[in-house]
Amino acid sequence: MNRPLELVCPAGTPAALRAAVEAGADSVYLGFRDETNARNFPGLNFNHKELAEGLKYAHDNGTRILVAINTFPEAGNPAPWHRAVDCAADLGADAVILADIGLLDYTASHHPSLRRHLSVQASASNPEAIRFYCNAFGVRRVVLPRVLTVPEIAALNREIAGIDVETEVFVFGGLCVMAEGRCALSSYATGISPNKNGACSPASHVHYENQRGKMVSKLGAFTINQFHADEPAGYPTLCKGRFVTNGKASYLFEEPTSLSAAMLLPELQAAGVTALKIEGRQRGRAYISQVVTAFRKALDAIAAGQPPPPLDMSALTEGQRQTTGVYEKTWR
Amino acid sequence: MMRKVKLSLGPTFFNWPPEKWRDFYFRIADEAPLDTVHLGEVVCSKRLPLIEAVIPEVVERLEAAGKEVVVSTLALIMSKREMNIVRELAASGDIMTEANDVSTAALLAGRPHVIGPFVNIYNEGTLAWFVGNGAVRVCLPVELSGIAISKLIAASEGAKPELEVIAFGRLPLAVSARCYHARANGLHKDNCAYVCDQDPDGMELETLDGAPFLTVNGTQTLSHSCCNLIGDLATLAGAGIRRLRLSPQDADMVAVASIFRDVLDGNLDLVTAECRLSGLVGGMAFSNGFFHGIEGARKAGPLAAAE
Amino acid sequence: MQRSPDVPPLSPVLLAGLALRPFPVVMLQPVLDAVMLIIHRRHPDVFDRLSGFQNPVFLIDPIDLPCAFILTPETRNPRVVAVAEYDPKTILETADAVIRGPLMSLMDLLEGRIDGDSLFFSRDLMIEGNTECVVALRNAVDGAEINVTEDILALFGPLAGPLRIAKKAGDVIFSRATQDLAFLRDAVIAPSMHRHAAIESQLHKLTEKIDAIDRKSAT
Repeated sequence: MNRPLELVCPAGTPAALRAAVEAGADSVYLGFRDETNARNFPGLNFNHKELAEGLKYAHDNGTRILVAINTFPEAGNPAPWHRAVDCAADLGADAVILADIGLLDYTASHHPSLRRHLSVQASASNPEAIRFYCNAFGVRRVVLPRVLTVPEIAALNREIAGIDVETEVFVFGGLCVMAEGRCALSSYATGISPNKNGACSPASHVHYENQRGKMVSKLGAFTINQFHADEPAGYPTLCKGRFVTNGKASYLFEEPTSLSAAMLLPELQAAGVTALKIEGRQRGRAYISQVVTAFRKALDAIAAGQPPPPLDMSALTEGQRQTTGVYEKTWR
Repeated sequence: MMRKVKLSLGPTFFNWPPEKWRDFYFRIADEAPLDTVHLGEVVCSKRLPLIEAVIPEVVERLEAAGKEVVVSTLALIMSKREMNIVRELAASGDIMTEANDVSTAALLAGRPHVIGPFVNIYNEGTLAWFVGNGAVRVCLPVELSGIAISKLIAASEGAKPELEVIAFGRLPLAVSARCYHARANGLHKDNCAYVCDQDPDGMELETLDGAPFLTVNGTQTLSHSCCNLIGDLATLAGAGIRRLRLSPQDADMVAVASIFRDVLDGNLDLVTAECRLSGLVGGMAFSNGFFHGIEGARKAGPLAAAE
Repeated sequence: MQRSPDVPPLSPVLLAGLALRPFPVVMLQPVLDAVMLIIHRRHPDVFDRLSGFQNPVFLIDPIDLPCAFILTPETRNPRVVAVAEYDPKTILETADAVIRGPLMSLMDLLEGRIDGDSLFFSRDLMIEGNTECVVALRNAVDGAEINVTEDILALFGPLAGPLRIAKKAGDVIFSRATQDLAFLRDAVIAPSMHRHAAIESQLHKLTEKIDAIDRKSAT
């Protein structure tokens, strides 16, 4: 029998962390309140004191804390990233989630006993890349990029069976349609880089304009979508926008949709993954409570050998659509 | 200083018919003032068989013309088949290879190789690691600022790596598992019918209000604007850049290369160069925002006012 | 950015607001000062999370109340001031952002029942001005676990228990009244809604045609 799947949940604030722990998270991932992590959004994330308190609370409740330090320091300014790693190590975080090779190197040499996970931002999509990160920097877990189908994940896990490494996959929430950590679209439109500054489609560059009775959502100088006056206008995430190609307007990259692999949990377990990740450090604690509770129930059912109950996430997707994304081949 | 800067032609990102592809490189071999030419498929493994048959004659022609040939490899490796393509290339060992994924760099460890712009090298620590692994040349990611580029050049001085930046062409901004060319035509990647061959310079993507924004090339998304660092060459050379990369468009790349060479050699003034380049790409908008630390789509620097 | 929710929903809040209309807003100020003091004391981290911004000013407009509020969440001295009216055309010259919607939706926002992403899909709330400030405010209040009732009840010490029971009874009546009013409203407007939907669909088609023509003439 497989060992139980680990449920890895997001927290953008101490309140969300408590909500995730109460709802049954096995691990909670979070970041510092700066550009060292890929959810560097205004008003979000943890300072050192909050992390220390969060660690104590989580550990008292048997939950692990993973600290995401998963942006790429730009030349000349590595200090904030080094400090973040030092702080996570000093405070006793259970692991750090890293993407940059220079930072992996720093962590492996300065804090060899600090467990290292490879962030999805490193986009390690194949066995040779995973082997490399494990051999060179002692990475113990790889978060797989959202580019692989379930059969490809299974094949990948078979190929890396000889390496002491776990794989983690996303099962719910926002969905990058481009290979993670390798997308400069938002940076091209706003000058703020997801890789360097930790924010995609940043709120600072979002604005809404009323044009001839239509609501237009813009990111920097570019129109991302248009809505009728009484239609709710979504947040203009670049790759979920509507654009024109060959004279036709469409959601060319992806519809405004959320990933839900809730129906694929047994398949993902059979494919050999260790941990399931829920996206959404920027979402509120109400979201965290509901999603984590639902997935906890599903995983407990699977662990007990029962079929997972159908998950009702309708309240969280707010009329948005759900997709199994790349896990099914036809998505490509 | 500028005279010493070398010129490379990057790999062609677009799906051109094999004859067009071959003839393009024959002309490059015979006429273009380039030091190095990159060949190979970076975007989509399904296209590789299309050009495979003509690669040997193109390599031969380029080498006969005294140009260094570098084989560029896939940016996104997902399947066993794709992994094996790269494993074989890395194992062959008789030609300089460019890694565009960390896995490929790992396979090339201990041998001289090139790192392409799809590998995230943003800082000194990461650069040092790749140099230690055997990289002799590194083409930096597109979104690095001029300041960061200068710092990396300063950090790598004395050591061997030759640093290179993309100085011309639509910028490769993203790669995906999903094929948007297929999707735009109501198809999936597996039955794509190679529709990307309809757009030799990529499929233009506009915003709903008709502003040009991006270009779609199969699984790759490029900028709509054409990156052009011709006005920044003095700054780059002053910082010690050793090589510039021109990324092929469906345009007269021999003329583009000649203009860059002439400016580097001090034989052509900037305004004339910019004007001629604009004519060569049919008036495509130019951008250099990333270099100036702002929106990549924007244009800044000495030639911005000429707009 | 959303449908302009200028028409308030028919709700107990609206009726209460209408009843309060004769009273000047300055009478509210002592209550607001007291509530702000409590929130500041019990949730200092809200204001800490907003410290990255240069003293942002929010105009919060519950459309079913006859007044609006100007919120300045400064780290040391946060204030909220009631205003009887404001000019929607010029308000963004003094406020960084405007958040407009029915009181109960604004309370959901304050107490963390609406998350950051849903905020932008909500039909109830309208946001204007600096989106970044609004996202920061939303994240900050969500992280603080503000519960206005509990925060105020905490002031009453031993009396909090009985008051909590009274509040619960009040909630039941409020929720019942909300349902009754919604039912009444639906019955009154149903015929015109059908007609409205038909007109809207026609308008939608026309707009798309105009857009297509615009694009053609642009190229």
